[in-house]
Amino acid sequence: MNQDISIIFKRELKQYFYSPIAYVFSIIFIVLNASLYMFHFFFFGNADMRAFFSTLPLVLGLVFIPAISMRLWSEDYKLNTIELLLTLPMKTEAIVLGKYLAGLVFYLAGLAGTLTIPILLAILGKPDIGPIIGGYIGAVMLGGFFLAIGIFISGFFSDQIVSLIITSLACGFLVLVGWQYVPMVIDGWIPGLGSFFYNYVGVTRHFNDIERGVIDMKSIVYFLSFTVLFLYLNAKALERRKY
Amino acid sequence: MIELKNVCKNYGLTQALTDISFSVKKGEIVGFVGPNGAGKSTTMKIITTYTAPTSGTCRVGNHDVLEDPLAVRQMIGYLPETVPLYYDMLVREYLEFIGQARHLMNGKFKKRYEWVIENTGLAPVLNRKISVLSKGYKQRTCLAQALIHDPEVLILDEPTSGLDPLQIIGIRNLIRDLAHEKTIILSTHILPEVSTVADRILVVNDGRLVADGSFDDLIQQVTERNSVYVSVKAGKKDFESAIKGISGVEELEFVHDTPRGVVGGHVYFPSKKDILPDLNQMIRDRNWDVVEFNRERLSLEESFIRLTRSNAQEGGDA
Repeated sequence: MNQDISIIFKRELKQYFYSPIAYVFSIIFIVLNASLYMFHFFFFGNADMRAFFSTLPLVLGLVFIPAISMRLWSEDYKLNTIELLLTLPMKTEAIVLGKYLAGLVFYLAGLAGTLTIPILLAILGKPDIGPIIGGYIGAVMLGGFFLAIGIFISGFFSDQIVSLIITSLACGFLVLVGWQYVPMVIDGWIPGLGSFFYNYVGVTRHFNDIERGVIDMKSIVYFLSFTVLFLYLNAKALERRKY
Repeated sequence: MIELKNVCKNYGLTQALTDISFSVKKGEIVGFVGPNGAGKSTTMKIITTYTAPTSGTCRVGNHDVLEDPLAVRQMIGYLPETVPLYYDMLVREYLEFIGQARHLMNGKFKKRYEWVIENTGLAPVLNRKISVLSKGYKQRTCLAQALIHDPEVLILDEPTSGLDPLQIIGIRNLIRDLAHEKTIILSTHILPEVSTVADRILVVNDGRLVADGSFDDLIQQVTERNSVYVSVKAGKKDFESAIKGISGVEELEFVHDTPRGVVGGHVYFPSKKDILPDLNQMIRDRNWDVVEFNRERLSLEESFIRLTRSNAQEGGDA
């Protein structure tokens, strides 16, 4: 099982680095985040990354993660390599995990590209390290969760663009319902629904907790359990496809 | 080795396979023929565990495809109809990936890798990107993929599509070489290919198995009468009366464009009766010079058309 995961992981990771689209999206991700942040940085002159982490969920959910996850299965449908993969003597779970981990590593490489900001801050001032580390831990968890949603969605569509758009909608929804005022509007339409989304579904609250340096077990369990759930569903959906 | 029992497969409301049952013995080469959409690929996908049968059972070796898919996959080398290739990889990298994924140890991989390259003729393109390969090389890369782990069972869905005539002969010979040690099922549209390679032919039409047997069996199955073309130097009347005198002859059909002094015609007789010895004896008794004596048989194409057509006329009741 472990060996199988690593074989798939290596191939998929290589595929990311072969693909020009992946580079393009990484550059967009880094430039977008850095420039959104730089506005705050020069305007307020604070040596912290709060502004960076406040826009990060939306950038991740709408653009970067869907762009990484879209190809994970959709490409295999298109090239028919799905027929190869699912007739290899490997468990479907191992293939899902190998692909997921490759996507995760690629995401982490993109995220590492934004480390220039804390380095810059450390040179220019004396930033509070705690929230920055917390923010990055949160970013890893959030990205991992979105990626699990993305690979799950990618398992249903042979068109990468469709996978991208649907993942982006799903992740965007999770981010937006976690913002204070979006649930308020929904509550205005259907009382209770907005708060329900905010409390149980929205992702932003959990991310903000971790980012503030409050590493709450609840938030960690939220991210990890949903990540595992979507990966499990992905494997099950691929097995169901046989029938 | 491979055994299907009452396999049915539905895709939504369409029934792709209806009650398919057959078994393939170890070492046998079975050709799978049928029109497009008849269910050849679906049957192959069930055997390779890619899709599951809606009902019925399929076993490969002693393993059920649903209960123990990994053991089945271990035994099978599979060439799907649409070649499953990663276009960004080099041919070498692709084969290495398959070798790893098939759990080949380094020593064994090296040996098999060399064997596969030699037998599929991939040596000139090993360091090329798959995306730039010609259709023939893509097909061969895929065939190499199916062979690299030395599988006991080979499932080849249209193995020669996209190849030129010379390459087709090469692949045919390769399949024949493998025949003794491996169990092979191959599907194709090209009928002569099946008759030269396969021991046994399965004809599917509209999701049903309509015929199962050797090439000769199939022809027997669709022809009620055989014919022979005879042309001799003799008078027309003598010829006619002599032929009609042989018991079993149903019809004599003259061919008019024979040269002067030569008479020729098609002699029809029931397929259950063999009149050839009598016919031969008659000509010898009369000392006629034989210009042409040719046993006419249906081509595989014709019998294939008859099989699939008669099946459709009977409302798929075969």
